Amino acid sequence: MTTNDDDYKMLELLSTTGFNGKVFAGFKVHPDKEHIIYPLGNTVIIEHIAKNTQSFLQGHTDNVSCVAVSKNGKFIASGQETYMGFKANIIIWDFQEKEQYCKLELHKVKVQSLAFSPSSKYLVSLGGKDDGSVVVWDVAKKESVCGAPAAVQSAGMTSCIAYCNNDEDKFVTGGERTIRVWTLDIANRKIRPVDCNMGQLKRYVKCIEVAPDDDYFYCGTTSGDILKIYMANNLLSKFGPEKDKYSQGVTSLALLWTGEILVGAGDGTVAVIKGDQFKKTKSHKIPGSGAITSLVLRGKGHQFLVGTEKSQIHRFNLAEFTREQLRDCHFGSVSDIAFPHGCSDLYATCSQSDIRVWNAKTSRDVLSITVPNMTCNAIELMRDGSGIVSAWDDNKIRVFYPQSGKLKYQINDAHNKKVTAITTTSDCRFIISGGGEGQVRVWKIKDQQRGDLERTMKEHKGEVTCIVVRKNDRECISASFDGSCIIWDLSRGTRHLVIFANTLFKCVSYSLDESQVLTSGTDRKIGYWETYSTTQIRETEGASTGAVNGMMVSPDGDNFVTGGDDKLIKFWDYGDAQVTHVGIGHSGAINRLSICPNQMYIVSVSQDGAIMRWKYPK
Amino acid sequence: MATHVMSESIYNLIPREEVKPPKEQRYQSKFRSTVKEEKQTNKSPNKTMGPAKVDLNAPKDYLSKRSKEPVLPEKTSFKYPDEDKRKPMVPKKEDRPLMGLKSNKNFITTNAVENIMSVPKKPAANFVDTAKGSTHPLEPSGLVPKYLNKKGYGDVPDYLRKRNGEVKRAQEEYDEYIKEHYRRGAMKHLTEGERQAVLNGLKKNWEEIHHQYQGLSVVTDTAPKKARKERMEAEMKQLERDIELLEKHKIIYIANN
Repeated sequence: MTTNDDDYKMLELLSTTGFNGKVFAGFKVHPDKEHIIYPLGNTVIIEHIAKNTQSFLQGHTDNVSCVAVSKNGKFIASGQETYMGFKANIIIWDFQEKEQYCKLELHKVKVQSLAFSPSSKYLVSLGGKDDGSVVVWDVAKKESVCGAPAAVQSAGMTSCIAYCNNDEDKFVTGGERTIRVWTLDIANRKIRPVDCNMGQLKRYVKCIEVAPDDDYFYCGTTSGDILKIYMANNLLSKFGPEKDKYSQGVTSLALLWTGEILVGAGDGTVAVIKGDQFKKTKSHKIPGSGAITSLVLRGKGHQFLVGTEKSQIHRFNLAEFTREQLRDCHFGSVSDIAFPHGCSDLYATCSQSDIRVWNAKTSRDVLSITVPNMTCNAIELMRDGSGIVSAWDDNKIRVFYPQSGKLKYQINDAHNKKVTAITTTSDCRFIISGGGEGQVRVWKIKDQQRGDLERTMKEHKGEVTCIVVRKNDRECISASFDGSCIIWDLSRGTRHLVIFANTLFKCVSYSLDESQVLTSGTDRKIGYWETYSTTQIRETEGASTGAVNGMMVSPDGDNFVTGGDDKLIKFWDYGDAQVTHVGIGHSGAINRLSICPNQMYIVSVSQDGAIMRWKYPK
Repeated sequence: MATHVMSESIYNLIPREEVKPPKEQRYQSKFRSTVKEEKQTNKSPNKTMGPAKVDLNAPKDYLSKRSKEPVLPEKTSFKYPDEDKRKPMVPKKEDRPLMGLKSNKNFITTNAVENIMSVPKKPAANFVDTAKGSTHPLEPSGLVPKYLNKKGYGDVPDYLRKRNGEVKRAQEEYDEYIKEHYRRGAMKHLTEGERQAVLNGLKKNWEEIHHQYQGLSVVTDTAPKKARKERMEAEMKQLERDIELLEKHKIIYIANN
């Protein structure tokens, strides 16, 4: 079976939830003070702060590694990383048009950092570890002006770059034991570096901020102190604080109009420091945020925004130094998604140690549950709404209260090798779980307080990836990596039928009348099977490049959606097995997807931490 | 635990539309208009300029006790206002006259005779302006021509005459000065007589030179002879030109320098 590739429409992307907080200084506020700009996987998202409207700048082939916004707000530049031996692109985007302005290709493997000149005439870029060069680009001519190695051979990697605020010809780079002030000689197409003499001091600079009048520049270091360097003679003026250095390094800096410095540290501390002694005047530690990777002033700085490594966005008020969490996104691969029965307004997702419940309309999280150091593999919501059932890699099944997020009860040692799949019956009396060792177990819920083992069904030889229960709760089907899908008789706890294929099954779904079942897996084939005899009715190519990870038949039974390692959402006609719509937007492999019960939209989750909501095509 | 089971449900997390109770109308005092009006009328006069800047009291004039109480005027004995003007009391019957002096003058008859003989008082010159007959003195009212009859009415006052004379004299002096100034700067006009005299003089000079010229030797063989002849010719030519100039122009001005 082949699908006609040309004959499909695009799915409309409604919203995206996600933010790659690991990109240093990746979170930006546009000079118009109304838009925020942040990277997510291989896209750069422009979002209106008040209206929540998003625009997507898509063009990179791999994760975005740095973002810069020009001072006049006309351009956005973003750099990416790519595979070893390939060239990494820099893309300059036109902010107004939200379109690609030009693509600049010179750096190898990774673009580390970008900076625009004060008048936005030049863009200066810094290559990553394998590239190690500084390149100046002419924005108007869309070509490179000149380039040079970023640091001397004996120094380490250069990690950041900053342009002067007034001087068009001066910029600063900093990294491992290297701080250089560069002068651009545009007539001779040369950049000339002057190394800052640090004496005995050995520091690894993580961030640079130039004072508004270009007198000094400040460097945040991994040692947890700040260097103040005089620009005119490139000499170290001050460094500090001497005691109480910032734990896990200074990861971001911002200069206030008062002459004070805003510091973001690796342990989540945000502080205001002042004077030559770098005395701390205000300080606040954000719990569980990871490093402060971005610190941006909104306007003058009465309000500033903070982006953290754990993909949180906080808004601070400078005067009171109060914090408000704007966004709390998944920072790791999102492994599962579940809708409450018959309700499209909420959905729950799980990613690493987090379980979150989201408001579908606003894409804001309503509930966040964290179990530190554990990984949640699968999630399911009780049909009566009384609990969130989750499968964890410490062999436990945890059930949480859906409003307070407290642990309701847990089933210890539910499986020997991780709990990998979970579902509940529609009468809410049983939980069915699948484990890494290949067992499918049925647990009876007693008094809403504990789960007792009812049955163990040992047939699979590999990890169970997906379990789906029939509507009448008599049977269920489980898919496994051992290349089989088994239909179980739940009343007797025995195997009813089995489907074999030469693949690792990843997903399975019943058709509307449950006479057929759809399977797919790493062989990229979608199989239609008869449920009473397990004969194959049809097989079709589900994807051309990557495994199919998620699949769901629509509530009305006419369509189904698939998503997988090819990063595409495919919307199929059930009867014809033809792709009618395709959704492009994910920058990582799609782990799971789900159609909302009211058939209004499709929500897909991917490895890069993004949750995307697509309009369900009519 | 049991309450949790009953209360908690994922469906409670569904965002609900918040129904905002309608806002109560803003409170407005019923005295608002009066307050506004009073404020308008009693607007402090020093509002725009700020309070008056007054020097502080000297340290020695510190605020003393009871200094703010009103100072009452000193007590005075009561006096009728006309007490000084009043005539002395009529002497009583039993009072003895001063030093026993006694007059035979019949005051009653003399008073009556005096009154009968006196010329009646002229009525005051008043004018009446309303129907009810309120009267006012006529003289200061301006109805009677007073200043018209004044001596020197309608004449140019002395001070003006004096001033006009001064102005006129100053103007004349100035004009004189200007004329003199111009005259001094102007070219000299040669009168007819002078001109004739100059002309005659020139002609006479020319006759003399011409006479000498006619008396020169016929052969001019030496250099001095030649030089002399040439000089005479040049002189005559110059004189002829001057004569011609003077004859040609009737009016001649001579520049000052």
